[in-house]
Amino acid sequence: MNVIEINQLTKYYGKQRGIENVSFSVEEGEIFGFIGPNGAGKSTTIRALLSLIHPTSGSATIFGKDCIKYGNEIRRDIGYLPSEVFYYEHMKVREVLNYSASFYDNVDTSRIQSLAEVMDLDLNKRIDDLSYGNKKKVGIIQGLLHEPRLIILDEPTGGLDPLMQQKFFELIRMENQKGATVLFSSHILSEVQKLCARVAIIKDGSIVRVENIRDMQKHNYKKFTLDYRGVIDVHHFNLEGITNLTVDENTLHFLFKGDINRMVERLQGQNLMNLLVEEPSLEEIFMHYYQKEEQP
Amino acid sequence: MNILKQELRMGRKTLIVWCLSLIGILSLFMLLYPSIASQLEDFQKVFESFPIEFQQALGVSDLELSSILSFYQFSLMYVLLAGAIQAMNMGVSVISAEVREKTGDFLFVKPVSRNRVVSMKILAVLIQILITNAVVFTASLIIVTLLSTDSYNVELFALFTLSLLFIQIFFASLGLFVSVFLRRIRTVLPISMGVVFIFYIIHLLNETLKDEKLGLISPFDYFNLSEISKNMNYDSLNLLLWFVLVGVFIFLTFKLFARKDLPSI
Repeated sequence: MNVIEINQLTKYYGKQRGIENVSFSVEEGEIFGFIGPNGAGKSTTIRALLSLIHPTSGSATIFGKDCIKYGNEIRRDIGYLPSEVFYYEHMKVREVLNYSASFYDNVDTSRIQSLAEVMDLDLNKRIDDLSYGNKKKVGIIQGLLHEPRLIILDEPTGGLDPLMQQKFFELIRMENQKGATVLFSSHILSEVQKLCARVAIIKDGSIVRVENIRDMQKHNYKKFTLDYRGVIDVHHFNLEGITNLTVDENTLHFLFKGDINRMVERLQGQNLMNLLVEEPSLEEIFMHYYQKEEQP
Repeated sequence: MNILKQELRMGRKTLIVWCLSLIGILSLFMLLYPSIASQLEDFQKVFESFPIEFQQALGVSDLELSSILSFYQFSLMYVLLAGAIQAMNMGVSVISAEVREKTGDFLFVKPVSRNRVVSMKILAVLIQILITNAVVFTASLIIVTLLSTDSYNVELFALFTLSLLFIQIFFASLGLFVSVFLRRIRTVLPISMGVVFIFYIIHLLNETLKDEKLGLISPFDYFNLSEISKNMNYDSLNLLLWFVLVGVFIFLTFKLFARKDLPSI
C-alpha cells in the first residue's frame, strides 16, 4: 500500500515556480529519501502534503485520502519535523510538549520523559533559553510523541551534533521498525544513504528520478582508488563503464560500473602501491544531477 | 479547548496591562472632577466662548459639565480610544502571531482544521474583551459612585460604558480581517494605531460636519456619546450596521484564512 501518493503536484507562488508536476509515491513501512539542492522544491512539496500551502494543480493523497480535503484527519497520524523549529518563546519545554500532546487522542505522555532522556533535554527550561540544537530536540520529541504512522522530516539534522544525529537516526529507525513510514528530505546525501532504501531526486522543481539506492550502489557502481608506484597510464583505463576519472599525482580515482572481472583483468600487471575498492557515496553518484546542465 | 486555553494564557499579561491602563486613563480624568467640580461652570463658560467649530472638534459642544455623567462622558472618550487600540491589537495579532513568531509550522500541522483554530482564537479574543469590559465597568462604576455628590442616571451610565464593548468587538473583528487580508504582518501596533486614529479623526471631523453619510464610516459615530445621552438609547440603524460589518469581517476572516498559504520560514 502506498502511504503517500503524489500526482502531478504543481505549486506556483504568483509567477514564481515552486514545484512542477511532481509525482512519486512512498510505500508503507519504508524510509523514503527526498533529496535535492536548496530551493529545488523539497519544502514546497512537504508543505503541500501537510496542507500548509494549497497546490496550484495536481493532487496528493496520504493514507489514501486527499491531503487538502481531509487534512485534519490525516494529520492525526503524521509527525512533522521542520528544518527550523520555533515554539512559543515564553513557555517551558514541558508545557510546549504537553500542549502538543493535547491535540492527539490517547497520547502516552510518559514518552515525553523517556524521549527527553534519550535526547538529553531539560524539560524545565524555557524555550527562549534553549540553543538551536536543543530546540531541534524539542521538535524531534513533539514530532514523535504521538507515535505517528507517517513521519515527515524536512532537513532534520541541522544544528544537531554528530552524536545527537546518531541518536536521532536510531530513534527514526526504531519508529520505522515499529511500522512508521518515513519521508526524509535532505540535501545531505550521506545521511539519506544511511537511512533510506529508495530516494526521489528533485531539481529545479521537478523530480529527476526515483531510485532504489541500495540496488544502485551494490550492483552498479564501485569506487576505485589506485596508488601507483610509478607513472600513471591513464589510457590503460580507457574502458567502457568508467566515469569520474581523476588523477591526483600518483593516485587515480574513478567509478566503475559493469562486470567486475573485466576490471580485475585490467588491473593485472599494474605497478600499484595500494588499491582501494569502495561503495561510492551518493554524492559521487548523483553529482551530475546536482550540477546544472552546462550544455543545452 | 486546548487552543483557547493556550491563547488566554499567552494573552494574560497583556490583558492585565491593558485593563490597568484603561482604568488609569479613566481615573486620571475622573480624579480631576472633585478638584474642579466647583469651578465647572467657569469651565463651561470658557468652552462656550470658543467658536462653535472648535467646540465641536474638541467634543465639548454639547457638554454639560455640571453633572458627573457629562464629565464621565468626556473622560470615557479616551477610554474608548485606547480600548479600540487594544481590541484591534488583539484582532490583528491573534492569528498573525503564528506566522510572525513562526509557530505556524507547529500549530497548523496538528490535527485541527483551520476553521477550528480561527474559531478558538476569536473566542479567546471575545473572552478577553468581555473581561476588559467587566473590569472597566466595575472600576468606572466605583469611581463614578464615589465621586458623585448626588444621584445619577445609572441607565445612561450603563449605556455609555457598554459602548466600549461594541467598539472593541468592531475593532477586533476589523483587525482579524486585516490580519488575514494582508500577506504578511511584521508589526501590529502601527497598523492598529493607524486604523483606530483614522476612524477617530473621521469621528472628530464629523462632530463638526454632522454629515449623516460620514457618520456611517466611523464606529465612534455609531456610539456617539452625546447622541446616546440625548436619546437614552443606541441608534438602531447604527447598531444594525455594526452587526452586519462585524459579521462580514468575521465571515471573511474564516473564508480568506482557509485558503491562505502559510509562508515557509
